[in-house]
Amino acid sequence: MKIVVCLKQTPDTEATIKLTADKQGIEEQNIKWVMNPYDEYAVEQALRLKEKHGGETVVVCMGPDRVTEAMRTALAMGMDKGVHLKDDAFAHSDATGTAKALAAAIKPLSPDLILCGRQAIDWDMAQVPAILAELLDMPQVTVVAKMEMGADGKSAVCNRRIEGGEEVVEVKFPAVLTCDKGLNEPRYASLPGIMKAKKKEIKPLGLAESGLSANDVGKASSKVQILEYLPLPERPPGKVFKEQETPDMVKQVVKLLREEAKII
Amino acid sequence: MFSLELSEEQRMIQDTAKSFAAEQLRPRAHECDEKGALPEDLLASAWELGLVSAVVPEELGGGGMKRSAVTGAIMLEELAWGDLALALAMVAPALFAYPILTQGTDQQKKKYLPLLLESKPAPLTAAVIEPVINFDLSELTCQAKKKGAGYLLSGKKCLVPMGSTAQSFLVYAAVDGKPGYENVGGFIVERGQKGLKIGERERNMGLAALDTVGLELAEVEVGGDAVLAGGPSCDFGKLMSYSRVALGALAIGVARAAQEYALEYAKVRVAFGEPIAHRQAISFMIADDYMEIESGRLLTWEAAFLLDAGKDAFKEAYLAKLYTDQVVIKVTDDAVQTLGGHGYIREHPVELWLRNGRGFTTFDGLATV
Repeated sequence: MKIVVCLKQTPDTEATIKLTADKQGIEEQNIKWVMNPYDEYAVEQALRLKEKHGGETVVVCMGPDRVTEAMRTALAMGMDKGVHLKDDAFAHSDATGTAKALAAAIKPLSPDLILCGRQAIDWDMAQVPAILAELLDMPQVTVVAKMEMGADGKSAVCNRRIEGGEEVVEVKFPAVLTCDKGLNEPRYASLPGIMKAKKKEIKPLGLAESGLSANDVGKASSKVQILEYLPLPERPPGKVFKEQETPDMVKQVVKLLREEAKII
Repeated sequence: MFSLELSEEQRMIQDTAKSFAAEQLRPRAHECDEKGALPEDLLASAWELGLVSAVVPEELGGGGMKRSAVTGAIMLEELAWGDLALALAMVAPALFAYPILTQGTDQQKKKYLPLLLESKPAPLTAAVIEPVINFDLSELTCQAKKKGAGYLLSGKKCLVPMGSTAQSFLVYAAVDGKPGYENVGGFIVERGQKGLKIGERERNMGLAALDTVGLELAEVEVGGDAVLAGGPSCDFGKLMSYSRVALGALAIGVARAAQEYALEYAKVRVAFGEPIAHRQAISFMIADDYMEIESGRLLTWEAAFLLDAGKDAFKEAYLAKLYTDQVVIKVTDDAVQTLGGHGYIREHPVELWLRNGRGFTTFDGLATV
């Protein structure tokens, strides 16, 4: 069984995000970059499937040189090898451009299964896996919280988180699955794993080798144009009621919760 | 070349240790301290990280990672940030295994190092400290007297980590009673050997979760093959330099935990109408503590760097240990003070860090020597 995991490197959840002066992006210096937390579930799932059913696991990632850090972490957790889509032409791709590049890298691998995180925690769009499935003409199951392999080894029954419950879906391979919290408990990269990861291959794949043209990816192809980024508005100061009769204060608070905050 | 930038490998090891400390050690530290017990499942999952075993040579089936004092310091700081008692329990087997790795005979390496590769924590530890007034590493009262090809060991030890369950102890003793580091030998003693009495679990001020015991040795006979480095003495000075670097890193981890906690507390704790962090008495103290921590780490890393470069780091390691001993006591004490009354009760972890941190000056008797 061949399993591909798509990976994204995102700022650490605890990183302080600052916008650049031109509001076209974020300050990347002094940010700690990590593997997108949802992708950790995808990596763990791939490793568990391999441990049980055998096969090969490949991690595919697009981005500048720094993303190899996240790829190396995936290799240290136990993934077999990596493909790094690395070309200036890929920069500023929107979800479609990113999915096109990933599809170009993944297609020659002919995987049985493609695993992604349910979304990246930076842009939170959750678009790439869905577009990827379309481009590769594969079925997709998103937000998977439980997965059971079928007896034939060529399908799986997945539980999807939906509002108010779970939806149980059977899917035939090859397929794209996006992984949610609860699917598994991602392992830590062990020291022996970290040692082995140093010797594992990360193959760079440029625009030319990917078979795409400059029009397919990058800013030129982007259907989504980002005009500017805005910081979160500052929280208005809280209101404090004191030195009044409690019933009066409660009345005022309830009134504000209803009329101003509109939460009751 | 000089650089304080972590290698990719060190960064990943730091990430692993940091995540494990934050997700596994810290949340369970309080409970372990209250119960005075170590959860076996936690130690087993910690062992799977291969933090101690990665250095087992390839020819013995290990990963063959080069031993690095710098990498060790980076890792230990993170683990101690999570919890000192649990961190010490995790790495206790290294107290036996690393001297064997660096100074042991081929036969000793073959016999003991593969134990590190098993799925459960290796039951190995070392006995260094002694329950005597003015304990001095260069004048051990535990003595080894020559008998035939081997030695007879007599004396007392204390603070032997994980001693209740350890199967093999590396006991340091003065060969023929002679003083000086150059006359200290390491002797492998197995549980159940005649003349070895393993004491009851010690009750300490801090480290309540950690199992430590005392040993009494009454003419315990060890063969020539059980003497570290083939004997009679070993390079004890070098072993202690490694130990001091490790203790320095652990102390910095505890201090950092306390400083970070105090800082966050000071920012949200409102007294007299504003956060106490706005008061210079508090903010200067926390800022000073930060400076002390950063300085202590640099001293520790310098000593570690020298050890990794194969140089003598005796003075630097000693300095790092002495300095970080003071740092951890000051910073954990300041953290209790920052929290005021809340710092003294067990709901907050700072009192635990103060109790744990207070131990560093006694762990190898250095501060008074």
